[in-house]
Amino acid sequence: MQKLLRFSETEIDGGRDILRAAELTSDPLLRRLYLEHAIDEFRHGLMFRQRAFSVLRELPPRSNRTFQPDLPASGGHGLDDLQLDKESDGSLLAFLHLSEKAAASRFTIYRDVMQHDPPTQAIFAEILNDERFHMNYTLTHLVRVAPERHRRHLWRARLSRLWKGYLRLATALASVIGTLILTLQYFIVLPPFAWLAKRAKRKESPGWFPIASERNGSLRRQY
Amino acid sequence: MNILGVSAHYHDSAAALVIDGQPFCAVQEERLSRHKGDAAFPMLAIEWCLEHAGLEPEALDAVVFYERPMLKFDRILTCALRAFPHSWGTFPKAMKNTLGEKVWMRGIISSRLGVPGRKVLFTEHHQSHAAATFLTAPTSRAAILTADGVGEWATLSVGRGEQNTNGGTEINLLREIRFPHSLGMLYSTFTAYLGFRVNEGEYKVMGLAAYGRPTMTDKVHQLIQRTSDGAFSLNLDYFEYHTTARRSYSDRFIELFGPPRDPYAPIDLETADGSRFADCAASVQQVLGDTLVEMTQALHQETALPDLCLGGGVALNGVANARILAESGFERLFVPPAPGDAGCALGAALYADRIHFGNPHRDMPDHPFWGPSIDGEELARLAREDGHPVDQLDDDLLIDQIADDLAAGRIVGWMDGALEFGPRALGHRSILAAPHAIEIRDQLNREIKFREEFRPFAPVAPVEAADKYFELPQGGARLSRFMSGVFPVRPVWRSRLQAITHIDGTARLQALERDMSPRLYSLLEAYGQRTGIPVLLNTSFNLAGEPIVNRVAEGYSTFLRCGIDVLVADRTRVTKRATARRKEDVRA
Repeated sequence: MQKLLRFSETEIDGGRDILRAAELTSDPLLRRLYLEHAIDEFRHGLMFRQRAFSVLRELPPRSNRTFQPDLPASGGHGLDDLQLDKESDGSLLAFLHLSEKAAASRFTIYRDVMQHDPPTQAIFAEILNDERFHMNYTLTHLVRVAPERHRRHLWRARLSRLWKGYLRLATALASVIGTLILTLQYFIVLPPFAWLAKRAKRKESPGWFPIASERNGSLRRQY
Repeated sequence: MNILGVSAHYHDSAAALVIDGQPFCAVQEERLSRHKGDAAFPMLAIEWCLEHAGLEPEALDAVVFYERPMLKFDRILTCALRAFPHSWGTFPKAMKNTLGEKVWMRGIISSRLGVPGRKVLFTEHHQSHAAATFLTAPTSRAAILTADGVGEWATLSVGRGEQNTNGGTEINLLREIRFPHSLGMLYSTFTAYLGFRVNEGEYKVMGLAAYGRPTMTDKVHQLIQRTSDGAFSLNLDYFEYHTTARRSYSDRFIELFGPPRDPYAPIDLETADGSRFADCAASVQQVLGDTLVEMTQALHQETALPDLCLGGGVALNGVANARILAESGFERLFVPPAPGDAGCALGAALYADRIHFGNPHRDMPDHPFWGPSIDGEELARLAREDGHPVDQLDDDLLIDQIADDLAAGRIVGWMDGALEFGPRALGHRSILAAPHAIEIRDQLNREIKFREEFRPFAPVAPVEAADKYFELPQGGARLSRFMSGVFPVRPVWRSRLQAITHIDGTARLQALERDMSPRLYSLLEAYGQRTGIPVLLNTSFNLAGEPIVNRVAEGYSTFLRCGIDVLVADRTRVTKRATARRKEDVRA
């Protein structure tokens, strides 16, 4: 179910980026296709979300009580943090083509392994159909808008996806290392300071705190 | 003197440019990045402000950040220490989050804008709120109250502002209530408990409250008590937001109020749970209102001033604002169009101008339209390329045509002039509709806004006619200028204003003066001539989960994706072609 919710958010975030592409492109045909594509992605997001909700309803009460939906923060960016304003139609189409291709292969696997869950399987099958269309139109129009350079765009998009994948991995690894070090510091370095902070807190009474007049003064300090 | 104000990194980042003491432009980052509530460093907003003013960064005399990063870090670290060892899970995340970028604002601003570090200044968070409300209000002396979730340490502050006869300005914040005791966090905790997104769903709690009865105020009072000095404190046993980012309420909170609402479950008011959630919302709304009224009454007695300037995110609560106006003793209540953190960008720049640099007071333009403007020609081009009917008319003809559309029950996407600064659509990026039938409200919720049925829609009416349809107390029209107050619809009109009358008979009115938005004002007049009631339903031009549209292309894509019948930008009117393009046609 958490996975369905994540799929839902991914589709919706991706849909927002494609919608943005529709708003930015000067190519009327692409605008219509992007818009259609974005509407598909929003619909997929809704389908995943509704299915997740149905699964949630079917879970035994204990699981229900402990359910914490994993929603991304508002303002989350989709499609690998694409800078859409800076992308050409060619590079965006190449990127979308590869993303849709990857999504189609992933969803094919999910559809095949979901035989025990026909409603979810049906969702994957329907979405897969759309993903194939998205995969095809992005390639067709990539060839149209960049007939001489479409292969170069595709290679660049592949390399960019690899680089972003590496960055994600490196960031995640750095985050784990950072968390470990900070957790160690928390238990080794902080206890005496925590004791002092708690002692200070006990002396603090709730209510008004007067604001010293000098605080209304200099704007140069950060504290 | 050119001063840039910046707010960032919590929610709703923004930039504002003040030139020679007056706002020149201001915009929220989300309106440009198209990510709702975008909290990123507002580079797009800054770039737009500078480009709009034709300034290079070197021409800036100061860049003012809206809070003091090290003081905020002090609060985060101290809270982690106080919660030891329960904060072990939160500590690494908080430190990575803060030390990664947020405390290095001087360096970040300096490097990203290319301005020397000495030009980067910092106001306190609540000073920014205070300046945003007092320095933009048409008053020379006023009491000030700011309240939000939390700034650095302060969650609520009171003080007074004054323009001296020598042209100087003073803003003196006198005292504050500190984190974790916070009215904003109390309300946000209920927002999360009721299954809505914090910092986004608070107005849903306010809307839901009207469906419930405040039967749980005694329970809410177990969470918040008044202190002997007239402030308040929260019973922290019921909260967890000060110790963990995982959730904001504790198990004791759940014992007191029952299981929280599943965010994915619909709210069915016929069920016991649905009614409990509505009662919860009504109860916290009641207690919030009571607390604010008592505090503002005390502030009125203390200052003996007729005007109150209210700032901070809590000032977005129109129900509480109306109670403050009616019960506090203040004659006039000023709430700026952007009282939340985005407005702090403007507040910080104005504070630096008046207080730090000591520049003389300047009268403020009394409107919220500081953002990018639209181009009607662009809409005509887009619509023609897609084969939608386009009319480009003289203004009078266009207004008449749109009034006819509205009178015929069509829903209109209305884009006019510069974008509003702040969360409300005040007539420049609005969806307009006839306010009479409940079906319009349901259609808007179902086919356009894709949102919960209990959410009310707001009306807009000419200020001269507002009192005829709405029960406005003294000062009510002023509070309604930026849609900051919720007032009763007069009972005799409720049956003819069903789409904007909330379940409790109230509405969040915008009382419009002609000077503020002349074309919308003319449209109200024209609509009034046709229907006898110069009132329109006015809701923000966006779909659920998206920021309000900015450019024509965004309005156009929104128009194509939902049930809006007519789109207007400047003097261009677009309708959808009679036969919608079939999906297969597009795909072919």
